[in-house]
Amino acid sequence: MQWKLEAKRRSEDEIVKEQGLVIDYDEIARKGAMTREEKLISKWFGIYGSRQPGNHMARIVIPGGQLTSSQARMISKISEDYCQGILSVTTRQSIQLHWLKLPALPDMMRKLNEEYLTTFHGCGDVNRNVAACPLAETCNYRRVNVLPYAKEVAKFLADARDLDNLPRKFKITFSGCGAGCAQPFINCIGVVAVVRKAANGEDETGFRIIIGGGMGWKAFVGQELFSFIPKEKITRVCRAVAILFRDHGDRFDRTKARLKFVVHNYGIDKCREIVIDALENEGIGTDDLETNAFEECGTPFPNRPLLEQDPVGTDGKVTVRAMIPKGELTHQQFKRLAELSEIFGNKRIYTTNRQNIEIHGVLPQKVQEVKTEIENLGFATDGHFGIRDVVPCVGTTYCPKAVSRTHDLYDLVMDVVKQKKYDAIWDKVIINITGCPNSCSPYRISDLGFRGMRIREGLGSVEAYEVLIGGTEIDFGKKLGEFKKEDCPQIVEKLLDTYVEVRQGDETLAECIKRVGFES
Amino acid sequence: MNNPFKKAVDSLNISYEMAPNPQEFSVFTGEGKTNLDLKTLYKDVPCQAACPAKTNVPAYIEAIAKGDPDKAYLINQEDNVFPGVLGRICSRPCEDACRHKWTGIHGPVHICHLKRSSADYKKNPPKPLPKWFDQSGRRVAVVGGGPAGLTAARELARYGHAVTIFERGSILGGMLVLGIPIFRLPRDVVENEVEAILNSGIEVKYHSPVDSEVMQGLIDDFDAVIVTAGAVAPANLKLSGLPDDGHGIPGLEFMRQYNFGEIGEMPGQHVIIVGGGFTAVDCARSCARAAKRLVGADGTVTIMYRRTEAQMSADNDEIVQMNGEGIEVETLVSPVSAIMEAGRLKSVRFLRNALGDITHDGGKPKIHPIKDSEFDMPCDTLVVAIGQVRTLNILPADITITEDHQTNHEKVFIAGDFRYGSFDVITAVEDGKQGAKAVDTFLSGQERMKTHVGVELIDTNGETGRVRDHDLQKPTDMRTLPLLERDGIAEVELGYDEDGTHTAATRCYYCHYKFEIDQDKCIHCDWCIEVAPRDCIKRVSRLFHDEDGAVTTDIKANLAAETTYIWIDSNECIRCGKCLRVCPTDAISMRKMSLNNCALSELKDSIVVAKN
Repeated sequence: MQWKLEAKRRSEDEIVKEQGLVIDYDEIARKGAMTREEKLISKWFGIYGSRQPGNHMARIVIPGGQLTSSQARMISKISEDYCQGILSVTTRQSIQLHWLKLPALPDMMRKLNEEYLTTFHGCGDVNRNVAACPLAETCNYRRVNVLPYAKEVAKFLADARDLDNLPRKFKITFSGCGAGCAQPFINCIGVVAVVRKAANGEDETGFRIIIGGGMGWKAFVGQELFSFIPKEKITRVCRAVAILFRDHGDRFDRTKARLKFVVHNYGIDKCREIVIDALENEGIGTDDLETNAFEECGTPFPNRPLLEQDPVGTDGKVTVRAMIPKGELTHQQFKRLAELSEIFGNKRIYTTNRQNIEIHGVLPQKVQEVKTEIENLGFATDGHFGIRDVVPCVGTTYCPKAVSRTHDLYDLVMDVVKQKKYDAIWDKVIINITGCPNSCSPYRISDLGFRGMRIREGLGSVEAYEVLIGGTEIDFGKKLGEFKKEDCPQIVEKLLDTYVEVRQGDETLAECIKRVGFES
Repeated sequence: MNNPFKKAVDSLNISYEMAPNPQEFSVFTGEGKTNLDLKTLYKDVPCQAACPAKTNVPAYIEAIAKGDPDKAYLINQEDNVFPGVLGRICSRPCEDACRHKWTGIHGPVHICHLKRSSADYKKNPPKPLPKWFDQSGRRVAVVGGGPAGLTAARELARYGHAVTIFERGSILGGMLVLGIPIFRLPRDVVENEVEAILNSGIEVKYHSPVDSEVMQGLIDDFDAVIVTAGAVAPANLKLSGLPDDGHGIPGLEFMRQYNFGEIGEMPGQHVIIVGGGFTAVDCARSCARAAKRLVGADGTVTIMYRRTEAQMSADNDEIVQMNGEGIEVETLVSPVSAIMEAGRLKSVRFLRNALGDITHDGGKPKIHPIKDSEFDMPCDTLVVAIGQVRTLNILPADITITEDHQTNHEKVFIAGDFRYGSFDVITAVEDGKQGAKAVDTFLSGQERMKTHVGVELIDTNGETGRVRDHDLQKPTDMRTLPLLERDGIAEVELGYDEDGTHTAATRCYYCHYKFEIDQDKCIHCDWCIEVAPRDCIKRVSRLFHDEDGAVTTDIKANLAAETTYIWIDSNECIRCGKCLRVCPTDAISMRKMSLNNCALSELKDSIVVAKN
C-alpha cells in the first residue's frame, strides 16, 4: 500500500529529530562525511557546518561566561591544534572554534571533557548557553549573585532528557539587577534579580521572570511572566517555561517556532496558566509565584552600569577588560589572558555579551600592570560598552547564513568612531552590526544598528546594510534606510555629528532620537 | 521633516539606480486585465491553457484533495458543462500539458479521471447554474441538441434569453449518445447532466429535423438562430464491387445501431473496420470491441489503417486495451475493392502502402501504394469509420458562413462541429460557449461578459497542503471491469475509489498558486534557495521580457555580485510554501490566480490591497 501523507504535518527536521539519532563522532571521523541527518543532529553536540566546505564550527557551552584559567588554556590548545589558532567570543558568552575538520571533532570533544567543558547543547533545539551579567559576582548594584543560579539552571536543563527536543532553540539570561546588562527582554527567559522589603522589614531577594523576547527576523520584547519568585524555584520555573515551549511551539514552521511566537500568539496570561499547570503537575507549589507589582529597594543602579571603567567590585578588587576586536583572538592571546588571570586575578576569565574578555579580582595596585600586559597583546583596556566597542557577528567570514562581510563594515565604522571629535560621546552610543536577519549581533537594540543585505543594481547587486537608529532593549530601532556598504561610514559620521550638535544633557543617542521624535 | 538625523542623512543625497522590480501580474490583488496577466496564467497553469474550455483544473483538483467533490464538480460544470461525461471521454489535452509530464515523475496528473471522481463522489445532483442577467425577452433557436447545442443553450439561458432546442431525434446529447459506446459512457451520466441544463428553463422540440425551409421559418420566428447540427454525414469511401452506391456501414451508424440495440448477433463473422482518423479511430475501436461480442468466438475483428500505429489518433492506452481484447490492427493498407459472392460480401481487397515524407510541420507522412501488393481479407461486415462531414445544406441557399460564429445573415450563427468539422467534445463545448456569446453580443448590442485574471492574496503562511513527497507518489491506476465481464454494455472503467482519488489529486502541483518575490523587499539572503525542494528558486542576473512585460528568458548568475534578482521559477515550483515561510523580510507572497468570467457591470477597477 502506498504511504499515506498525513494531513497535519511536521517539518522535515522534526521527523529526523524524533528518530533519536545517536552520533558517533569517531565513526564520522573515519568515514569523513556526515549524512543530512547527522548534520542536523550534530547541532545538539554544538557542531555546525561552516561557510567553507569541509570545515566545521564548534560552540563551547560556558554558563554565565565564566571559565577557569585551565579551561581557557585547554581551549587555547585546541584552537592551536585544530582551528588554525583562532577562536571567537560570541554575544551569548560562548566561545566558537572554527576551521575544524571532521577527523578533529572526537579529539576536540575529548579534550574539552578533560576540563569539564562540553559543546553538548551548544546549538540545536535545546536550552542553549545560559548567559549572565559578566560582573555578576562583584557588581555593586547586584541584588543577588546570579552566576550560581545561571549555572544551576544550565545543569538542570541540560540533564533533562525530556527537554532535548524543543521546537527550536531556547535561551535564558540572568541579570543581577534591573539595569538588565544581560539583556533580559530579548531572550526566551530573562531572569532579573530583585530585592524588596519583606513583611518582617528585612530585604527579600528573588527573581523577576520575563519571557518571550527575541531578536531574529521578527523581534519581540519580552513580557513579564512573574514579578517575583523565590530564588530557589528558579530551576523549576525555567523548566516549566521550557515545557510550555516544548508542548506549544510550532513544529511545522521552524521560522515561527521560537517561544516568542507562542507568547505572542497565546498572550502572556495563557502562557502563565500553562506554566503554573506544568509546575503543579510536577508537585511544585505555585502560591509564591507573584504577578503583582511591588516597590523595589536596594542600591539605585545607573542606566548602563557596565560603562564604568575598571570597576571596583564589592570585594574591593578590580575588573580589567580586554576589548577583542570583532570578538576574534588568537590562541596565544587567549592563553596569555588565562595566564594573566592566574598571575593577577581570580584564576578565571569571563566572556561578555559584547564579545570581550574580562579578568576579575585584580588588586588595585596591579591594575596598571595588567592593563599594560593586555595592551601589549593588542587589545584596548578601556572604552568598553561604548562607541568603540562595536559588535559585528562573524558575517560571511564563516557563517553560511550571512549575507554580508560584517568585518569589513566593522573596519570602516571603526575608522569613523575612533576620531577624536567623538571622545565626548564615547559612552553614549552603542553600535551593532549583523550579517543577516538572525541578529546574532542584536542590531535592533543598539543606538546604531546595521543589518546586512544586498541592493540590486542595473545588473548584479552590491553589499549593503539596513540602518536602524535609536534602539533600546525595550524599544527597537527605527529604519533609517538601506545603504550600500561604502556609504555607511559617511552616514555614521553624519549621524554622530548631528547627535553631537543636538544632544542635551546626558542623553544617549537613542534617548536623543526619542526626544526629537523619529517620525517628526 | 524636523528629525535632524533624517535631514542630515538626506543632505548626503544618496540615491541608487536599481534594476526594475519585475512582477508577473499587473496588479498585486484584484482584477488583472492586461495581456501580461493572461500570459502569466497560461504559462503558469498549462493544463488550463491547453483545455479548450479553459477549465480551472488546479482549483477543482485542490477541492477534491480537500474533500469537497461538490465544489470540484461545480467548477467543472461552470467551465466545461459536462463533468461526468468529459471525465470519461475527454481527449485530455490538459494531461499532455501537465507539468508532471515535464518532470517525468510517473507521468501527468490524471486530470480526466479526477474530473470523473468529482462527478462520482459529489453529494448533490447537478443543478442549473445561476443566471447572469435578467430575462431579456429575446428568443433564440438552437438547432441540434449535441454538446455544442446544449452548451450554447445553457449559456444563452444564463444570458437571460428564452431558448428552444430543435432536435431531430428523440434524445439529446448528439455524439455523446450516438457516437460513443455505452460501455464507455453510460446513458444515465449523459441524461443527468443534460437534465441540469434543461432545468434552467430550456424548451426542447424533439423529432424536429431542420432543413433549409424549416430554417427559414426559424429565422423569421426567432430573434436569433444558432446552428449546432454537428458533422454527422459519413465521409465518402467508394469501393468498387459493393452494391448500394459502394459504401460499407458508416462507423457512426454502426454505433447508433449498437447503442440502441438494433444490431443482431453476427456469429462467426469477419468484421473489418476501415479507419484511423481522430474521432474515427475512437469510433472504430468501439465498434470493434462491441462487434467482438456480437461476432462470437470464431469471428474476427480487424482494424485496417492506411498509415502506421504511430499516426493513429487513438492514444497508446487505447491501443493496448484494444490488443488485449483480441482486436487485430493491420496497418499500411488501403481498401481498393470489394468481392461479392451470391449477393453477399465475401472479402475486401487491400493494397499495401509505404510511408513517404512529411510535407508540412505537424502533418502526417504521405503514403505511397506499393505496386502488386494486393491481398484479400475475408469480410462479412465492412464498417467504414473514416470520419464525418457537415451537412451544410440545412442552411438556406442564400446564407453562407463568414467568419468565427457568424454567417452573412445577422440573425444566424453557427458553432461546434457544424462550424469546423468533426472534432472532440471539449472543443465543441467551448465553441458552444463562444457561439452563445456571439449571439448575446448581437442581441444586446454589446459584449456583456468579460474575462479577466483574478488575483487573490492567500494568507495561509504559504500553506497549500503540498510537500515534496506528494510529487513522488505513484499515480492511481484506473479500476476496470475484468476482461471476461466486459459484455459491451456494462461500463468498463469503474472510476477511482476514494483513496485513489485522494492520491491522484495530491499529485497536482496546484499551479494556480503563484509564489513571487517582491524584489524591493528581497535582501538576497538566499534562505529560500537553501530550503527549496528543487531548482525552483534561482539567482539571475538578467531577465528578458516580451512586449507585454512577461518574462521570456533569463540569464543565471553564479556569484552574489552577479545576482540582480532572486527569482522563483514557476515552472519548477511545487507550491510547498517553504520559501515564503523562511523569508525573513516577508518579500515572498502567495497569490491565487483564476480566469474569471464576469458581467461587465460587476467588473471593478483594479484594487491593490496588500502591496507593501
